[in-house]
Amino acid sequence: MPRQYEAVYIFDSALEDAAITEKLTRFHGMLGASGEIKADHWGRRQLAYTIGPRETGYYVVARFDAEAAVLPEYERALRLDDGVVRYLVTLHEHEVGAPPMTEEEMVAARRRDDDDEDEE
Amino acid sequence: MRRPQKSCPFCETRVRFIDYKDDRTLGRFITDHGKILPSRLSGTCARHQRQLATAVKRARFLALIPYIKGHTA
Repeated sequence: MPRQYEAVYIFDSALEDAAITEKLTRFHGMLGASGEIKADHWGRRQLAYTIGPRETGYYVVARFDAEAAVLPEYERALRLDDGVVRYLVTLHEHEVGAPPMTEEEMVAARRRDDDDEDEE
Repeated sequence: MRRPQKSCPFCETRVRFIDYKDDRTLGRFITDHGKILPSRLSGTCARHQRQLATAVKRARFLALIPYIKGHTA
């Protein structure tokens, strides 16, 4: 049964953008994913702490459906690749983060905030 | 003495599952040294506090938030 996963990769920021795209295509090709793979490129950003000599990393967040059986081979490729500084594959079972607020809720939230201030 | 009930900031914004990639939000729930803020101080409900702990740990691994703040190797 395919399950939905979310992977975050941190690539070496010294890599060319083209090289990163090529690596991503290679990794995602190994998944035999049903349906499209959504890759969100955050780009280069400062790391919160240095990893070896690196202070910045190129972040990519990908979401895909895959069979659990293909994951070990895929993760092995990630580990062997020197361009990948770090990666994290998690099960994506639910939508995460705050739901988008509707217009009404925004107004209600603002009113609630005002009320809180009155109490103090 | 019972401390007054605080309302959970995640329930208020109707977050169902905390996003480990949202370093801005997570940053509000760690101390000056980078420790996870206890629910005693933040008012987070038990369910969200458990999710928060996992989210903070994942975010740390991904270098989105530091393990230790104010420390230079």
